[in-house]
Amino acid sequence: MPKWFVPVAVICGLMFAVSPLLIANAPYESTMGLVQKIFYVHLPSALIFLIAAIVCGVASVRFLFGGNPRHDRLAWAAAELVVLFGIITLVTGPLWARKAWGVWWQWDVRLTASLMGWMVAVAYLLLRRYGGPGSDKLAAGLALFGMANVPFIYISVNYWRTIHPTTNVLPTLPVSMGLPVWFTFATFFLLFLLLLRMRVRLEEQRARLDALYLSMDA
Amino acid sequence: MMRCLWVSMALLAALAGPASVGPFRSVPLLAQQPQQQDEFIPIDQLPPQDQLPAAPLLITAYSFVVLALFAYVLSVSRRLGTVQQELNRLQSETKRGRL
Repeated sequence: MPKWFVPVAVICGLMFAVSPLLIANAPYESTMGLVQKIFYVHLPSALIFLIAAIVCGVASVRFLFGGNPRHDRLAWAAAELVVLFGIITLVTGPLWARKAWGVWWQWDVRLTASLMGWMVAVAYLLLRRYGGPGSDKLAAGLALFGMANVPFIYISVNYWRTIHPTTNVLPTLPVSMGLPVWFTFATFFLLFLLLLRMRVRLEEQRARLDALYLSMDA
Repeated sequence: MMRCLWVSMALLAALAGPASVGPFRSVPLLAQQPQQQDEFIPIDQLPPQDQLPAAPLLITAYSFVVLALFAYVLSVSRRLGTVQQELNRLQSETKRGRL
């Protein structure tokens, strides 16, 4: 593991310990009350979900045009994190919506596009797991669709009539609510970097293992 | 002709009858209906039967986040440990073979 891994892990752990205190001390939103506190994990996980999809897409493009296996390993690692942070977003969102909107799910553009983005990442992982030889290139092509979906997810709420809040909510938050949400986002982002590094390391070790087996056969 | 006219008038009277007494009847009907609310009601002022408790949803959301992250970290660590073990075994076998 690189030198930065342990210090960043310590900082991330400390931030995870402080986050609940900041969230608990944040004021209650006037109309939704207590349930609005789901926002402090829903929004950061949703942003990391989108960032991971972009990382997966960019690494896939570089792998498709450059052929460097390092980029392929990065894309695979990021795809797993798309699934992880995507499921967190897709579970915490309906739990909040049930109380705030009165329904678990709405087939509006952002929710449907987010579900599609998550399913693309699941398809990527299934393809890598069971696709056989050549699945790396095929999966990289699939990751491009996942990345193309990201701006659509982000801006859709501004163009289509929906009950999901628009992108204007975040910049207009008061400091008492903005600080916990950005702090939690920073915590999730550090965790994302750590998990990405761990997952890439796993693929590197697997590649070394494969190379060792091949050298023994030769 | 006159018969048709009488029938038409009778039909009109039959149709107009309930409408003409309607306003007099509507007073007690309106009085029976619950009072209408034509403005926004804050969620904390809803009657108890219409309120959904927030705490279980909040606890479920936070528990899910912690469990999902923990399960993923555990999964990657275990996979990494298994691959590392296999790598060490193979490397030592290769070294022994060379010796």
